[in-house]
Amino acid sequence: MDLQVQLGRLALKNPVMVASGTFGYAREMAGMVELGRLGGIVPKTITRDPRAGNPPPRTVETTAGLLNSIGLDNDGLDAFLQNQFPFLASLDTAIIVSVAGKSYDDFVYLAERLGRVAGVAALELNVSCPNVSGGVDFGTDPSMCEKVVRGVRGVCDLPVLAKLTPNVTSVPAIAQAAADGGADAVALINTCLGMAVDWRRRRPRLGNVLGGLSGPAIKPIALRIVYQVAQAVDIPIVGIGGIASVDDCMEFLVAGASAIQVGTASFYRPSVTMEILDQLPEALRALGADSVSEVIGTLQHPAR
Amino acid sequence: MSCGCKPTYPDRTWHGAAEVIENTAVAEGTYRIRLVCPHLAAHAVPGQFVMLRLRSGDDPLLGRPLAMYEVVLNDAGEPWALDIVYLAIGKMTRCLAMVGSGEQIDVWGPLGNGFPAEPVDHLIMVGGGIGQTPFLALSQEALGRRAYGQADRRPGWAKRATLCYGARSERLLACVDDFCNAGVTVRLATDDGSTGHRGLVTDLIEPLVGESGGSCRIVSCGPEPMLKAVVEIARRLGVPCQASLETPMACGMGICFSCVTKIRDDAGGWDYRRTCIDGPVFDAEKIVFD
Ligand SMILES: Cc1cc2nc3c(=O)[nH]c(=O)nc-3n(C[C@H](O)[C@H](O)[C@H](O)COP(=O)(O)OP(=O)(O)OC[C@H]3O[C@@H](n4cnc5c(N)ncnc54)[C@H](O)[C@@H]3O)c2cc1C
Ligand SMILES: Cc1cc2nc3c(=O)[nH]c(=O)nc-3n(C[C@H](O)[C@H](O)[C@H](O)COP(=O)(O)O)c2cc1C
Ligand code: FES
Repeated sequence: MDLQVQLGRLALKNPVMVASGTFGYAREMAGMVELGRLGGIVPKTITRDPRAGNPPPRTVETTAGLLNSIGLDNDGLDAFLQNQFPFLASLDTAIIVSVAGKSYDDFVYLAERLGRVAGVAALELNVSCPNVSGGVDFGTDPSMCEKVVRGVRGVCDLPVLAKLTPNVTSVPAIAQAAADGGADAVALINTCLGMAVDWRRRRPRLGNVLGGLSGPAIKPIALRIVYQVAQAVDIPIVGIGGIASVDDCMEFLVAGASAIQVGTASFYRPSVTMEILDQLPEALRALGADSVSEVIGTLQHPAR
Repeated sequence: MSCGCKPTYPDRTWHGAAEVIENTAVAEGTYRIRLVCPHLAAHAVPGQFVMLRLRSGDDPLLGRPLAMYEVVLNDAGEPWALDIVYLAIGKMTRCLAMVGSGEQIDVWGPLGNGFPAEPVDHLIMVGGGIGQTPFLALSQEALGRRAYGQADRRPGWAKRATLCYGARSERLLACVDDFCNAGVTVRLATDDGSTGHRGLVTDLIEPLVGESGGSCRIVSCGPEPMLKAVVEIARRLGVPCQASLETPMACGMGICFSCVTKIRDDAGGWDYRRTCIDGPVFDAEKIVFD
């Protein structure tokens, strides 16, 4: 079975990755997951300077979902390169470094620095974090999105994935802008903005009031967006949102994703990615396919 | 050794489905569940915890952190099962109370750092609410009655162990006999005075330290206001102290950054640290209480 997939200039040995912010810096999971079997790892998003993140409580469980307002808690680029990256670079899998900036200059700075680091396979631009205010919203304005992708492409040769937010009227418009800017692929979706209320205390349950919803609860939204973007835009898609089984993975592939990322599911089924990888060949065979690429975007439309 | 300085990665963690052997009420709203998981039981040390998740579906979605209460040995004297004592207070723990023997639940662990096994004359344990749970195994080890984990911890590191245990009322006090049988001196406190001292469990600490004679160490687990009071008393008396935090957790393995606590750094400030892998046990003076 041929599990290889291609995301623009980025080749992956298989389509199963882990999503940013849901797998720490991977070292944490070395005892639980055979990291080298993963198609790719996206470590927690880094910023130019350290960020403390939001006050707790940072997560609240909702029905079949999880709300989070972590707020990009990270030690900044330099600490990442010094403390986390050497381990990541030693792994036999594609390391896709996720970056976020408050400004165009931040993104360009991060890209320029990371473009010179051996062992980085690609960049994922997190233009979609719902937990950081004060910055320019590159994920909601098509022209800003195009500009930041173009700026990053201009200063580094790494493949670039643009990770987009579902919290806009039309994701295809933003995805098209990312493609126009030169993105190799789009990653869909980041979390859906939501909230939880403790009515007895008349208080929001999250320290940051609003947060991003993830987990099985958002899978139908993610599938819909992957499908819509696949219809409209001509670059590969990485599907993300509520994936917790090989069936979920196959749904995204058929709907138009070339690869997937597992997020919240790693929290409650630590080796879920290994299960998906174990079962993927058989699921592909069930469709009569000899490779992943044969099933991507093969959704049959009902006759009207 | 100091606690909360470097992460304990879940490198020796087992995860899988464990069979429930029994799940019985031990006090009002409080249950003890026994899970067959030999590998986990062989590696767990006092103060570590496990994540439990129901296999019935996606609601509740996440696992819940629960302290290791005791390791149960099989007939050959090998670690075989894990006991956990829990309060049914919310969505998951209320469902857990309905699980019957023969059913399976998902478990991963052991997780976190655990308490240090450092020699001391008098180990004073302060537990409030359901915070007594990490202390049975700790007492067994301290008094040399049991060994836990691999060979790196030497049992019998304390001459005496006292548990100060507080709850709202006598009905909620769970497993007091287990501690008595382990050779622990138990001092109780209840808010309503139904048994023991009427008032706060923290009132019991100072007299104990005063009569101790030799060296003392305080370890504490329970609600944050109690921990804060314990830490203050320990500082005033100049007694070394560690606290095990019950911060809500989404993964227990260090990958979500939801369980953070303010921990003092060397530069005199603080940083949010992950309670699951940097703790749950921290040196008291490192914790910044809000
Ligand atoms: C390391 C560690 C060890 C623990 N050991 C034990 C143990 O041995 N026995 C035991 O009974 N419990 C223990 N707990 C607490 C236990 O994890 C929670 O009681 C449990 O997660 C509640 O889940 P639930 O779905 O039943 O409640 P939920 O429906 O999630 O919550 C019910 C109510 O409890 C509150 N709540 C939930 N979790 C916590 C928490 N951690 N601290 C304070 N309030 C909370 C919620 O805000 C809500 O008001 C431990 C926690 C940690 C971090
Ligand atoms: C606790 C948590 C932290 C996250 N942190 C990040 C992050 O730092 N950067 C990012 O691009 N996405 C982050 N995400 C979003 C996930 O990568 C993913 O896009 C989203 O959760 C949907 O997938 P899921 O339903 O499989 O979790 C985070 C999600 C969660 C639950
Ligand atoms: S509970 Fe997820 S990092 Fe601690």
